[in-house]
Amino acid sequence: MAASGRRLRGDPESGFTMDETVAEYIRRTVLKIPRREIMEMLTIWDFLSKTQLQTINVHHTKERISQEVVTLCEENCAGIKQAAILDMIYNHTYPNKKVWTVYQMTRVAGEETDSLNLADFKYKFKRSLQTALKNVTINFREYEDNALWIRIAWGTQYTKPNQYKATYIVYHLQTPYVFISSLRSNLPLLCQALVHASNYHDIHEMELRSRCLDSLKDIVFKRYSQTFQTYHPRPLQERNVAPEKVDPRIIQENKREKERIQRVNQEVFGNGLQPKIEFAQYKLETMFKGEPEMDILTEKEPFRCVVKFSSPHLLEALKSLAPAGMADAPLSPLLTCIPQKARNYFKIKERKDILSASCLGS
Amino acid sequence: MRRSGRPSPRGRRPQQDMGTPDSLGMTPLGRKTAETGINFTSTTRFSRGLTFIRTHTLFGQSPARRIIPQTSLLQENADPQKIAFLLRKQWTLYSVTPMYKFSYGNLKEYSRLLSAFVAAEKQKGLAVEVGNDLGIKVTLSALLGLKGTDQDQAAILVQIASRSQLPVENAEDRVVWSGWFCCVSGDDFLENVPEDFTCLSLFLANGAESYTTIVGTWFQKTFDCCFSRLTISPLNLAWMAAMWTGCEVDSHMAATELVFSVPCLPQTLDISYAIHPEDAKALWDTVQKTPGEVTQEEVNLFMDCLYSHFHRHFKIHLSATRLVKVSTSIASAHCDGTIKILHSKHLIGVLMLLTELAISQIQ
Repeated sequence: MAASGRRLRGDPESGFTMDETVAEYIRRTVLKIPRREIMEMLTIWDFLSKTQLQTINVHHTKERISQEVVTLCEENCAGIKQAAILDMIYNHTYPNKKVWTVYQMTRVAGEETDSLNLADFKYKFKRSLQTALKNVTINFREYEDNALWIRIAWGTQYTKPNQYKATYIVYHLQTPYVFISSLRSNLPLLCQALVHASNYHDIHEMELRSRCLDSLKDIVFKRYSQTFQTYHPRPLQERNVAPEKVDPRIIQENKREKERIQRVNQEVFGNGLQPKIEFAQYKLETMFKGEPEMDILTEKEPFRCVVKFSSPHLLEALKSLAPAGMADAPLSPLLTCIPQKARNYFKIKERKDILSASCLGS
Repeated sequence: MRRSGRPSPRGRRPQQDMGTPDSLGMTPLGRKTAETGINFTSTTRFSRGLTFIRTHTLFGQSPARRIIPQTSLLQENADPQKIAFLLRKQWTLYSVTPMYKFSYGNLKEYSRLLSAFVAAEKQKGLAVEVGNDLGIKVTLSALLGLKGTDQDQAAILVQIASRSQLPVENAEDRVVWSGWFCCVSGDDFLENVPEDFTCLSLFLANGAESYTTIVGTWFQKTFDCCFSRLTISPLNLAWMAAMWTGCEVDSHMAATELVFSVPCLPQTLDISYAIHPEDAKALWDTVQKTPGEVTQEEVNLFMDCLYSHFHRHFKIHLSATRLVKVSTSIASAHCDGTIKILHSKHLIGVLMLLTELAISQIQ
């Protein structure tokens, strides 16, 4: 194990020498964890014993704590697998540090679908990747909500896997959806492995990306409060609202209009909290058409533009536009259809028959 | 090269910039408006320079029309390398009142004095050997070629360089901060300037703000002038979007991008609206009636067209939001008062507009 240029850490008692790169990786992972979470995560990790954990003092500097953890790992002969699992626990706790893209797998119409066996999937997936790439680290971890987390560190034919640039995949076995983040290359290889292992036929990227993994799941699994996307005038329903203590001399000018806006907004967005996404992008290639008196452009070519909306919580911000007076109610279906269509990247082209833009796929 | 039209109180559309300091700004003499960012306090009496700036707009609002000069090229004596240095950098904008008894012949002397001042300021509070100059060198030089008319004063470049620590002979000094004064076609707005005053109304700075403060303080003390941060109202940003979209660009055209920020929401929302450069220019060309001249109506119409195209798709009223940034192939500008100029061909045109904004802020 005495590779050139690499200093080995030695434990004089057991004679085990932990790989320096593994030690460094564990140390850096521990450094990332906020101080108040360290003990909990190490407990979940379940690699260090209770007695060992008790020797760690969380009031020391993080530098010192991380060194202490590494020393303890040495006693327990930690390898890359344990280091990878700690990393997975960290990323499972803080998924919003990454941007997740949603992929959907499809079957050929009429194909028989057997229920997927977890062990089968793991075996086939690993084999598919390892036959193609010699140097790759693959780790799995299952969670209660039927989510399978996969961590892949990629190497090449001549280089060892880069643990610091690992790809993460979240796959719910009984669904066709896969959530992937931090994938810089090897997409075709990964897709092939996923499709092969899960007995699907094909996989494609959905135009849906966000940092909030839970919201992405809400959107594709339809767990948000759904609404009908058409606008029907309905009489105002009774709601259990405590009467405000308002001075009777104050008269609300546009009370009816305000109420109408609230009602329509609620129909369009639903009652519950919106899924959390941070951006939406629209590539518009529609004809330019202003107000009738501004019939400016007589061009027969589309007016090309790209519109990007960004916000820490985009859908909630859009929902508050009409009540704030900055948008009409109902808001355009281009915006309100985001959860329903499960996408936040759009290409809008002119419809041949109707001149108003509509939500066409790319 | 001529005068912009006298302002007449036309029926204007309600402007977005009501409530921002530079639009309401009737600054009574002797008192300062609150500025964003650095507030330089002049220790001497308020600058004498203000009394002869012609009021060409009502209440600091933008003029009814602006001329785009046909020949806005750099003058022949411009140094291409120095000009290239000005491009593709982000500059923070300030307006400067006229400087008293500034002499182009004394640039070397000023360099020496300013070097000493910068070194002294930097050393405040530090226990440093006397005479140690911390390896900082300040140079003032003339920037030739940045004039709109012959009446303009020549531009001045100030650079702070830190002496190379390397023992190598002739190792290059590293420029850590740059600032330049200019006034392009300022004579439209300045009349009867007495002999002792030099009008270099626009100041652009790049580098650490601490240096900007130090340099500004020295100029204020030495020449009895006053610096203030030049913010750009959404109205003027709209002018820039319209004027710059219309410029001819030979090489790579970039999209015309407008960035809006939506106020008054529980969550911040930013909207970027980027239009293909050819389509944006085609739209502007149908709006602009007289070549070489841009009117307020044309700018409003251009913006309204863009707003209504947006509204048709999204049902959102962009006119209710705040325009904060404009980017075009020519230049990009942010409402906080920063600018980046991309082409030397249009440098003079951009500086002319900024000079006008600087002078109108001084009023």
